[in-house]
Amino acid sequence: MASAATKSVGFLGQLSNSMKRFVFRMSGYNQYGLFHDDCLYENDDVKEALRRLPQNLKDDRHYRMHRAIHLSMTKTVLPKDEWFSYEEDHTKGRYLQPYLQEVITERKEREEWNKK
Amino acid sequence: MTMPIRKSHPLFKILNGAIVDLPAPANISTLWNFGSLLGLCLVIQIVTGLFLAMHYTAHVDLAFSSVAHICRDVNYGWLLRTLHANGASFFFICLYMHTGRGIYYGSFLYLHAWSVGVVILLLVMATAFLGYVLPWGQMSFWGATVITNLFSAIPYIGTDLVQWIWGGFAVDNATLTRFFTFHFLFPFIVAAATIIHILFIHQTGSNNPLGIVSNVDKVPFHPYFTFKDITGFIVMLAALILLTLLNPYLLGDPDNFIPANPLVTPAHIQPEWYFLFAYAILRSIPNKLGGVIALVMSILILLVLPFTHAAKFRSLTFYPLNQVMFWSLVSIVFLLTWIGARPVEDPYVLTGQILTVLYFSYYVINPLTLIWWDKMLD
Repeated sequence: MASAATKSVGFLGQLSNSMKRFVFRMSGYNQYGLFHDDCLYENDDVKEALRRLPQNLKDDRHYRMHRAIHLSMTKTVLPKDEWFSYEEDHTKGRYLQPYLQEVITERKEREEWNKK
Repeated sequence: MTMPIRKSHPLFKILNGAIVDLPAPANISTLWNFGSLLGLCLVIQIVTGLFLAMHYTAHVDLAFSSVAHICRDVNYGWLLRTLHANGASFFFICLYMHTGRGIYYGSFLYLHAWSVGVVILLLVMATAFLGYVLPWGQMSFWGATVITNLFSAIPYIGTDLVQWIWGGFAVDNATLTRFFTFHFLFPFIVAAATIIHILFIHQTGSNNPLGIVSNVDKVPFHPYFTFKDITGFIVMLAALILLTLLNPYLLGDPDNFIPANPLVTPAHIQPEWYFLFAYAILRSIPNKLGGVIALVMSILILLVLPFTHAAKFRSLTFYPLNQVMFWSLVSIVFLLTWIGARPVEDPYVLTGQILTVLYFSYYVINPLTLIWWDKMLD
């Protein structure tokens, strides 16, 4: 009997999920040992969010980026068993999102306030 | 311990900051060689050009034979002339590779460096156009006539503007002398703009193939990229010398061996290969002013790139669908180059029009596809 906690996903939902996994696999940043948030272009919002990141997350980020640049320099990628999975990328890999959302919300509030 | 002279001397410390101690990303690839190669091309063109200018005469009755005199009588004149002509082709190969690298890896997000870069591209195109007129062959004269006549499409001031540019009522001696003047002047403006371009790049540091911030892994410019650039110089110089010594007129037009004759129009007027894609775009629009606008926009659209960038990642490295679109753009430009050399007949007319639409479509479809891909990653 199916667990009450499991929500059944329709055909379109499954298709969408498969498509997202395919897009993640094809993007390939996980082959360099990078998370999604490691690759974000550093606009002003991202820079401020990074400034607020705790030191341990910053250090982990710097390590992954250093490793990725070295791999890029040697024109190789990580062994397949070291690639981050889709699930890892969607949990650990979105470490910057809470801070980024905070920064974006604050900016929008400031812009709204400045219009008055 | 006293500071090394390269860091303390007022002049040397500038050079040190540019080519010795400059922090550079460890992973920049061969595509990052084209900046220094462009500098080399500029030096080659200025040096060969200066020596050519010592023997060239800018007069309609003497220009063509002064070029023949250079090739036949001046010591190593044949080498100076062929190096200068083929050096221009290599200049444009490097320009298009450098610009293509910028488009692919999102380097255009360095707005100041990118804007100055587009200005340099336009200046070099103008310089090449002016320089091609100087030998005063059939293609020199008729190419100048076709392109300068385009300015008459500008409403109200067009005709007066063209006659002001010509210095008369047609391309003639006044045109040739002023074209020589500007062809001599522009490279020095290009050199100044290049210094400004490098200044802006040194404010931000170089981009890299991954498109991520590379402060975590930088290496000093010397010895890694001094030696890598020297290797690039050797490869490019080898290719230039091979072409110049083995088949110097491969990329040229045979019609330019005929002295200019305003009474005889060549069967097929066409510019040098590096302008053919733009020439195809110009001819695709049936309206004269429309064609001129399309021609100008085919280059100026590069300035729009920083403002249409809506992707989360900088480079196309992690966007495989957009990589396919980028290489399609490259193919489209190659095909437009082919069309630019074809006569204005079926099936080339329709093919050119379709390719023109596809060329401009890239700049619209690419950002939309990037946004869709980002949504799928979320």
